[in-house]
Amino acid sequence: MVVPQRALLTNEIMAYLAPNIRKLLLGVDARLLGDLEEIRLRCHRPLILRVGDKDYSVDQHGRVLRDPAQGYLVSREDLYRSIASISDNSLYAFEEEIRRGFITVPGGHRVGLAGQVVVAGQEVRTMKDFSGLCFRVAREVTDCALGLLNQVAPRGIPVNTLIVSPPRCGKTTMLRDLARLLSDGTRSVPAHNVVVVDERSEIAGCFQGIPQLNVGVRTDVLDACPKAIGMMMAIRSLSPQVIITDEVGRREDIEAINECLHAGIAIITSIHARNVEELRARPLIKTLLDQGAFRRGIILSRHPRPGQVEEVIRWDE
Amino acid sequence: MLWLKTMGICLTIAGFGVWGLNGARRYSRRLAQLKDLRLALGFLEKEIIYMHTPLTRAMERTARFAQPPVNQLFWVASRHLQNREGTTAREAWLTGLQSLKHSGDLSNNDLTILKTVASQLGVSDAAEQGKFVRLIQEELKLLEEQAAQEMDAGQKIWSYGGFILGAVVVLLLL
Repeated sequence: MVVPQRALLTNEIMAYLAPNIRKLLLGVDARLLGDLEEIRLRCHRPLILRVGDKDYSVDQHGRVLRDPAQGYLVSREDLYRSIASISDNSLYAFEEEIRRGFITVPGGHRVGLAGQVVVAGQEVRTMKDFSGLCFRVAREVTDCALGLLNQVAPRGIPVNTLIVSPPRCGKTTMLRDLARLLSDGTRSVPAHNVVVVDERSEIAGCFQGIPQLNVGVRTDVLDACPKAIGMMMAIRSLSPQVIITDEVGRREDIEAINECLHAGIAIITSIHARNVEELRARPLIKTLLDQGAFRRGIILSRHPRPGQVEEVIRWDE
Repeated sequence: MLWLKTMGICLTIAGFGVWGLNGARRYSRRLAQLKDLRLALGFLEKEIIYMHTPLTRAMERTARFAQPPVNQLFWVASRHLQNREGTTAREAWLTGLQSLKHSGDLSNNDLTILKTVASQLGVSDAAEQGKFVRLIQEELKLLEEQAAQEMDAGQKIWSYGGFILGAVVVLLLL
């Protein structure tokens, strides 16, 4: 399993933290940082490092604390300097990202933003007076989907697959690795043209349009593109054999999936639910399942660790 | 001895005269620098609003566009931002302004108005940035008009004043 190395983390994320916080984290044990999932900066509240299912903090001397309440208090200045670094002091250059609530930095890491949201009509216009930042470490786990490949592509032909799990169980990591494996090809599965419709820039982690994470050599990415629009664009212009997207659920997504199904393209996507019962409780998804839109369902959990395959359902039997 | 006295008188009057002429030139230099600043801010505004160029690069391009010594402000600010040591746009702008203060002829009033740019630079969306930069340009335009009026009167006072002061000093010494 590939985990973010400390050097990588230092180069890619540390550069965007306020100097005070950067100095504190440089003293933290590399093993802890190796499994780091999130760094949370909230104004006047302790700095929190999320490692697996546990929260840690760091005191003024860089010592790791199990009780985050005693940790270093993040100041407004720390937040201001971090945002200045993330945006290159140019919030105007990140208007669309700010409207979406996050900025992706080189390396594919995402920085979630909290603050006062300015709404005009029904739409978010911008955010101001930032009060919190959430650095989410992009994690590439190479070959994590290798064991699923014969289910997703039986006899080498990809089939419509739905990956099901609650949040933080590794759906996106699994989708990314599936994109790479199907795109590059393996001994049992030939290479395919893949399009990733990456509405939240999570799968490919694009920075200025370039994928920062490995999604394969035959993969095109429609970054920050609404899923429904992206799927139709891909069909029209990129001749994909496989479309990969995440977290479907809206009516327009379902309609776009239906279009793809009748265009001979395999759809691999994910959805939030704990099990099939929860899935069937959602009317739109239930309709899709009843139509036989998906041939495989893969249920994931995070026990003992994210990406654990709980069950593979064959809806085509 | 007479030739020595005559030479002393001439040198004193010429010295004061040159000092006065230099003082007079400061008015025209200030006016030119205010105009350059306004044009440079117009360039920066376009980089921000239409190109969405990140501030570090936008400053660098503006520095290439602007005339010396105004370009110092943008060069220094851009270099400061390139350090990526958590430097804010505010700090970079104020450092640039400090450099311009030493190399330029701007008045304290001009510098006070330019300091207000620091807290707003890069911290809002393009439309807000545009509004703010245009406001500063308007204020610079007013300062330019004021500087032009001051120049007419001030240049005469300094040009003639230098020679007159030289002559007065000579008379007092005699």
